[in-house]
Amino acid sequence: MFNDTRDFIEALRSSGDLHEIEKEVHWDLELGAVSRLACEKDGPALWFKRITDYPSDITAFVNPMATWRRVAVTFGLPADSSLKEIYAEYEKREGRLIPPVTAKAGPCKDVIKLGKDIDIYDLPAPMLHDGDGGRYLGTWDMAVSRDPETNWVNWGMYRFMVYDSRHLTGFPRPTSHLGKVFQDYYVSRNKPMPMALVIGADPISHFTASATYHIGGEEAALAGGLRGAPVELVRCETNDVLVPSNSEIVVECEVLPNCVGLEGPYGEYPGYRTGEMGNGILCRVTAITHRKNPILAVDATGYRDDSSTITALTGAIAIKRRLERHGLPVLDVNVPREGAVHTAVIGVKYGGKQVAKEILETLTSRRALLSKIFLVDPDVDVYDLGKAFHAFSTKCHPAHGIHVIHYEGRANTLTPCYSQGERALQKGATALYDCTWPGEWSREWEVPVKATFDTIFPDSMKQKILSEWKSYGFKD
Amino acid sequence: MDSKTEKHSWETFLRRPGDLREGVEMPMALRDLTSGKKKYQMRHVVAAVSRKPEEMASMDILHVRTVVGVLLSETWGVKIVRDLPTELPGRPYHDFYEALRKASSTGS
Repeated sequence: MFNDTRDFIEALRSSGDLHEIEKEVHWDLELGAVSRLACEKDGPALWFKRITDYPSDITAFVNPMATWRRVAVTFGLPADSSLKEIYAEYEKREGRLIPPVTAKAGPCKDVIKLGKDIDIYDLPAPMLHDGDGGRYLGTWDMAVSRDPETNWVNWGMYRFMVYDSRHLTGFPRPTSHLGKVFQDYYVSRNKPMPMALVIGADPISHFTASATYHIGGEEAALAGGLRGAPVELVRCETNDVLVPSNSEIVVECEVLPNCVGLEGPYGEYPGYRTGEMGNGILCRVTAITHRKNPILAVDATGYRDDSSTITALTGAIAIKRRLERHGLPVLDVNVPREGAVHTAVIGVKYGGKQVAKEILETLTSRRALLSKIFLVDPDVDVYDLGKAFHAFSTKCHPAHGIHVIHYEGRANTLTPCYSQGERALQKGATALYDCTWPGEWSREWEVPVKATFDTIFPDSMKQKILSEWKSYGFKD
Repeated sequence: MDSKTEKHSWETFLRRPGDLREGVEMPMALRDLTSGKKKYQMRHVVAAVSRKPEEMASMDILHVRTVVGVLLSETWGVKIVRDLPTELPGRPYHDFYEALRKASSTGS
């Protein structure tokens, strides 16, 4: 269990999953370019020790969980654990909730800047990609907000851009939990929403902030359960929001209910910079607190970034739970890393047209993050993309096996294939590729027999071949 | 170039071609390209822009990026006429440029 970013960095160093860069690196594109390439090479997490224009006591830790090895380390598993083992570990722990505890003080208050001392430019927010709308301070973050009507506290990982010395703009999507509470309660009453942007808390807290979790669910309690110990929280200086006491940096804000600023465009987790720009929120910073020698945690967002592991993992389990709650015959769900949280492979006990349609409706009813779903029979390992692709290629009927649902007001506007017009209306569609055999087909007379070793030979023959394999001259 | 004569450089993002018009004062969001810790600071302004060489000579430099962040090869001249507030009145999650237009027309 890690109490903070520093513990986690040490663990990554021990497992060989950390690379420390002593050479001075510029915050303006250089840090982003090094980090992006490292990410695409499946490289280690990076710790930049010298950043141009900034003192040496502030450093940047980048791509905390962008590989499955680092997700495994986060959960205290051997770094070489399989994807299936990591999924199973998360699934085992996610049902347990341990509420947070509060403390009067914590390291995140080592330095407190209020009033005229506030200057966001004291933090080395990087310009991550050429052509982004600005420098993004919030990438590996957790935005903490509260619904005053229910007292529900939400942690979410959303992007936040530096606007000037005292303002940030952000794009928690309007359909996000933060976006929903902000609009339903605060905007309707013309009241500013207190918020804290936490950067560099313990890794599990960030993991839960990025998780797909149900409305009303307390990520702080989920984090406690996943860690096996409560998260210690401390109150902000200028509002009642509680934040992890060991956080590296906390930016306290008011989200303004009646003002706007330009946000985006930004090279996002789908691996593209879409034209999502100028439709976000504006925040007025009321305090900045941080630890001594603060570490700015950063996700070098883009193809196969941190969300490709953690958002995919939690999203997959959330999909499974949702389908179970609706009585659908789900077995396993994989949101593959390469699918940028747009695609899911769903294994079912049995498929067919009715199941396919119900799954499609269930997964797009409130907000529709997925645009492609592959439905597969139990004989297909959802974690084996080669097998899933084989099932799609051979079992999905091109005329009858593709089901599409259209929606407006809840599409994922970051989906690259949508037009600017669709983006503006949050209009989109999800296609389900039914790669299961039709339920009405006779297993004896109509369902084709799969021509693989496991399926097309009698058990006695398979056992003989396996036990005598080396006698045929094979080494393995 | 002598620092006294070096021109100030700004950058702006446009939603669509044709959003930048000569001969009128228009509301814009400019980001400051001056090197240093505060590079990319945003500013809301009413400004005049030009592509005419004789007018550009006395103006700041304006670089233009598209809605997907692509830098256009042509640069413009820009002259800031007045500032608009950073906390621009408008409805969250609604079009920033519409709010900018309203603020400029109401003299905010």
